[in-house]
Amino acid sequence: MLLHLIKKDFVIAKKYVWLMLIVVLLIPPFILWRMPELTGSISFVISAVFAVFMLLMYVSMKEFQYPKASAMLCATPYPRSLVVMSKYGFCVVIFAACGVIYWIETLLLPKLGSFNFGMVMAAFVGISLLISIYLPIQFKVGYEKTKFFFIVVIMASPFLLPQLLKINGNPYLAVIHSISVALLCVMVALISLILLAASILISIRIYSKKDLI
Amino acid sequence: MTNILEVTGLNKSYGDFSLSNVTFSLPEDCITGFIGVNGAGKTTTLRSILRLTTNTSGTIKLFGLDIEKHESESKNRIGVVMDDGGFYDELTMSEMKNVIAPAYSSWSEQDYKSYMDRFSLNPKQKINTLSKGMRMKYALALALSHKAELLIMDEPTSGLDPLIRSQLLTILTDYMKEGGKGVFFSTHITSDLEKVADMLIMIDHGKIVFQEEKDTLLESYRVVKGDTKDLNEENRKLFQNIKTTNFGFTGVTNQIKEVQECLPGIVIERPTIEDIMLSNIEGVRNNVASSYKKGLCNR
Repeated sequence: MLLHLIKKDFVIAKKYVWLMLIVVLLIPPFILWRMPELTGSISFVISAVFAVFMLLMYVSMKEFQYPKASAMLCATPYPRSLVVMSKYGFCVVIFAACGVIYWIETLLLPKLGSFNFGMVMAAFVGISLLISIYLPIQFKVGYEKTKFFFIVVIMASPFLLPQLLKINGNPYLAVIHSISVALLCVMVALISLILLAASILISIRIYSKKDLI
Repeated sequence: MTNILEVTGLNKSYGDFSLSNVTFSLPEDCITGFIGVNGAGKTTTLRSILRLTTNTSGTIKLFGLDIEKHESESKNRIGVVMDDGGFYDELTMSEMKNVIAPAYSSWSEQDYKSYMDRFSLNPKQKINTLSKGMRMKYALALALSHKAELLIMDEPTSGLDPLIRSQLLTILTDYMKEGGKGVFFSTHITSDLEKVADMLIMIDHGKIVFQEEKDTLLESYRVVKGDTKDLNEENRKLFQNIKTTNFGFTGVTNQIKEVQECLPGIVIERPTIEDIMLSNIEGVRNNVASSYKKGLCNR
């Protein structure tokens, strides 16, 4: 059932999915060409954030446009909790697709840098944090009031992410470098899962109390 | 007769509107019409049954099971037709079916194809290109393709031409022939119910006014026509509502024997469901009463 609901979101956004695929393919080479200092994990994070939020917003806009369709879904045996989880699943699938696309690009364009698991996990925790904040708010107040959140995220990411790079030089973070990459990945994965699980629970609670039109 | 649906003490508030202690039941093998004017509470009641509204109190039992505890199981046995279909209009019918079908454990692809053929619907056609009648037929195809035992429909005939409405009623009659089924549909087009309904439930201002078998209901009411001069304060009380003109009065009553005794020169006719519905609407009754009082004062 969950997979079908995730698939439903891709079907709703099908035209946009192809456009996003092209955008995600082009972002890393474009950054390599125009801002070579940001190549590597930053270009991956930018393309992933862009794809996840653009597609999520498109699907949310369609749900807003056809509110009775959401009511219809909940009138079927699909539990509301599954409808909520499918939104998170949708984001995770997009992120995974972005990871695969970026990995293939690093093979074709070695100047993009190496593709490693640590980079993917760092990006995943970032995306998890963003959707963990965004989705419960959207379930609570609706698409109309939250669409500006996405604009802020998209506009801010090219400026904020380079700032994050500077944190690398921070002596307080030296302790992170002393931890093995494998352990760090496990810790980051755990943090992401905890964030997502907490957010899913909050969203389910909000959505289960919502009157559907 | 077994009850397919039992609603007991349902309450729900929306600002200045509330469902108040809504209680009724739907027997098996019956087409039940849920009547009332716009804003009477029909859609809110249906949405509460489908658990689309929250913060409701009362109990709803479907097939003897409390829907709150057995939500998925109960919904698996219901077919739902929303007033506007409830579709993502930019999808094709086939894509929309692929969204809905996996929710039902007993989905029958064969039944779905058979209904699509019967209704002459092309699965590759986009939903936003369908006429209102075709949308309703498509909604029915989805609702009837998983061996549903109860069909719940919200204003299915609203905005449809007489031919499509007639076809819908035929489909419902065919569906009921399978046995062990039930249909519950809300409407304010009461002429459709004259043809197919077995049972009628009326709601007004969020309260159930009556639940009665259609034939019993039609037998217990009469439309009375007569001379306005024969009316007085006493015999007016025997009517649910009265309309007076310069030529006479027309009233609806459920106390025909008493009316006949008081007013010997009257003409009696069988009422329509609409006559009965209108005579039971609080606003209409109050208006009649107040206009009569104004009339008395003017004299």
